[in-house]
Amino acid sequence: MKNTLKIQRAIKNSTQADLAEAIGVSRQTINSMELAKYIPSTALALKIARYFGKPVEEIFELEPGD
Amino acid sequence: MKNRFLFPHSYRRIGWLLFVPFLVFGLAVLNHDFQFDFLEISFGKSPSHGTFESIFSVNTINLSDEIATLGMILSLLFIAFSKEKIEDERVAQIRLDSLHFAVYLNYAVLAIQVIFVHGTAFLDVMVYNMFSVLLLFIIRYRVVFNLENKA
Repeated sequence: MKNTLKIQRAIKNSTQADLAEAIGVSRQTINSMELAKYIPSTALALKIARYFGKPVEEIFELEPGD
Repeated sequence: MKNRFLFPHSYRRIGWLLFVPFLVFGLAVLNHDFQFDFLEISFGKSPSHGTFESIFSVNTINLSDEIATLGMILSLLFIAFSKEKIEDERVAQIRLDSLHFAVYLNYAVLAIQVIFVHGTAFLDVMVYNMFSVLLLFIIRYRVVFNLENKA
């Protein structure tokens, strides 16, 4: 699964720590997601989408093979 | 995220503080037949010393090994299953993966020991096996957790 977390953060001008605190996870979890090493649960993906005020599909995208 | 069955974060430190002395105590009991005299309890009337009955008497038992075992189990559980400072679903995932890994590896090692260790030596294998799942879990979990936290 691909995601645009890093870009979304840049647009909103927020750090990994800001996002982490807003959605109640550790900063390492944000980092893992940005490196596509960790795929968040639906609940977490929705929280991220709400934080950026965008639909989930704009942030997370399926890759071929998913 | 709600995580059931976990101890508070501070229990990890308590776990380590208990683990070190209980490990030393446990190894001393296991390898050197070490016993604390005050942990000896007796029930019933023990047969007088030197008689035939006294050799097979079970009227007195020393609780050293029991205390050492329970102390090890409790301290390892505290270390293994205390919460992180920030609990989230990724930590839960690492924990689950590590548990899975530890159970597999533990049984793989046990299977090898079943094949190669025989007689009374196998009793030692079983004693170590009481703690090895938790030990393997702790090692795998800490290694993965710390590696990812460096990133």
